[in-house]
Amino acid sequence: MNIALKLVITGILSFLVLSHSFAQNKDETPLKDFQQRIAKYLEARKKNGVSTKPTDSADKLAEQKHQAVEKTRETRPDAKQGDIFTPQVGAYFKKQIAAALQGRDGAKVSASLRHAEPLPNVPLKVNEKYPQDLPLQSTPPTLLLHLPRLPDELHYRIVGQTLVLFDVTSNLIVDFLPDAVPKP
Amino acid sequence: MILSIKKPLYVFLLLVILTACNSATQPARTQPTENNNQATSAQHLDIKLPLQEKSVRFAVIGDSGTGGRDQYEVAQQMETYRQAIKFDFVIMLGDNIYGSHQPRDFEKKFEVPYKPLLDAGVKFYASLGNHDDPNDERLYKPFNMGGERYYAFRKDEVAFFALDSNYMDPKQLDWLDENLKSSKGKWKICFFHHPLYNDGRHHGPDLDLRNRLLPIFQRNGVNAVFSGHEHVYQRMKPEQNIYYFVLGNSGQLMTHDLRDSGDRAKGFDTDRGFMVVEIAGDKLYFQVISRTGETIDSGELERR
Repeated sequence: MNIALKLVITGILSFLVLSHSFAQNKDETPLKDFQQRIAKYLEARKKNGVSTKPTDSADKLAEQKHQAVEKTRETRPDAKQGDIFTPQVGAYFKKQIAAALQGRDGAKVSASLRHAEPLPNVPLKVNEKYPQDLPLQSTPPTLLLHLPRLPDELHYRIVGQTLVLFDVTSNLIVDFLPDAVPKP
Repeated sequence: MILSIKKPLYVFLLLVILTACNSATQPARTQPTENNNQATSAQHLDIKLPLQEKSVRFAVIGDSGTGGRDQYEVAQQMETYRQAIKFDFVIMLGDNIYGSHQPRDFEKKFEVPYKPLLDAGVKFYASLGNHDDPNDERLYKPFNMGGERYYAFRKDEVAFFALDSNYMDPKQLDWLDENLKSSKGKWKICFFHHPLYNDGRHHGPDLDLRNRLLPIFQRNGVNAVFSGHEHVYQRMKPEQNIYYFVLGNSGQLMTHDLRDSGDRAKGFDTDRGFMVVEIAGDKLYFQVISRTGETIDSGELERR
């Protein structure tokens, strides 16, 4: 192999390694940012003593929930859409969801989304409750495998084309990302 | 003349006396109370379960929590069968409380219809459906979820795994895999809301869920799976040694919803119902009963 060819191959390999590492770094930043924002949210929530426990009484359940809602709202009274799904974080999530839909199991994920009673016109607002009389759209497991893992207190939900971040205890909407799921 | 005029009157009086005497010789009629009806019905039930000693007996309901008259009628049949079969727990396949989750909803959609069962000490083990409020219901002690979205419990040699198919995150998948693997149950039964196999037109099977759960079920020897969601009854043909049941009509109903895919062994989509199951040794016996007390399906299945 002559020197010129060796140089070309080394150049290509270096470019591939560098571009891969650049792509990784590009993804690491929003991921880290997202995780930090989640940690901050949970810390504030913990400080405010948001907790619930099992009970025999439906009245106590309602009271616990009311308390949880009030305390969670108090932790971030000025919360607004995009506080957690910043433009950079949002772009990362859209990329991950697209990867799940275009991957090997993408057709099954799409089929599950279609069959999960999609609700396109649910009014969503940060710090408000998800309407209790509306069904929850199930979130395909493969989609969840592509998204950053969440602590038990929080869940992702798909509502139509929107990705919603839910506080499980209070049922409050922590943040949401419109047009996260491409239209079928 | 006098006699001829009064003849109809004598005849009438005679009839009144005879009727009164006849009534006096008959046993007194009781008011048709609920309990009397149940007691009478319980004596004439067509029980298809063998009712063996030391067997595990339970009932299955799905999509029950409407609070409507039909749910109450199914619940009444359940109590009739409980008196005969003596099942001591019920598994719930999700959509346990539809609509709002105010305290009155828990009463109307659960506590009142199943009061006779609850009073008799029957335990309910719930799984979560897409109409349930995960936080309220997992914390509601009568649902025996221990504060968790997914959990396991054991009845003699039968291990039960209640899953949350609304949100099958990697943590739950790992938990299921580990717990199925370490389970010493001779029978392993999973129950959750969304069916993996389903001939219903309204929802159909959840393909992505199937894709993730099936390998876990297969490598860990799951024997039977119960799901709801589609508001009909279906017994699917066994897939890779696993029996699949869909029962989503204990309160809701989607009439004439079933299509024929060839995957189904039995279907019922014209009324509501529930199921009773008995497990003894290597056999699982089942009977599906409609709201009106008709047996829709029954049989015995071998553990494979």
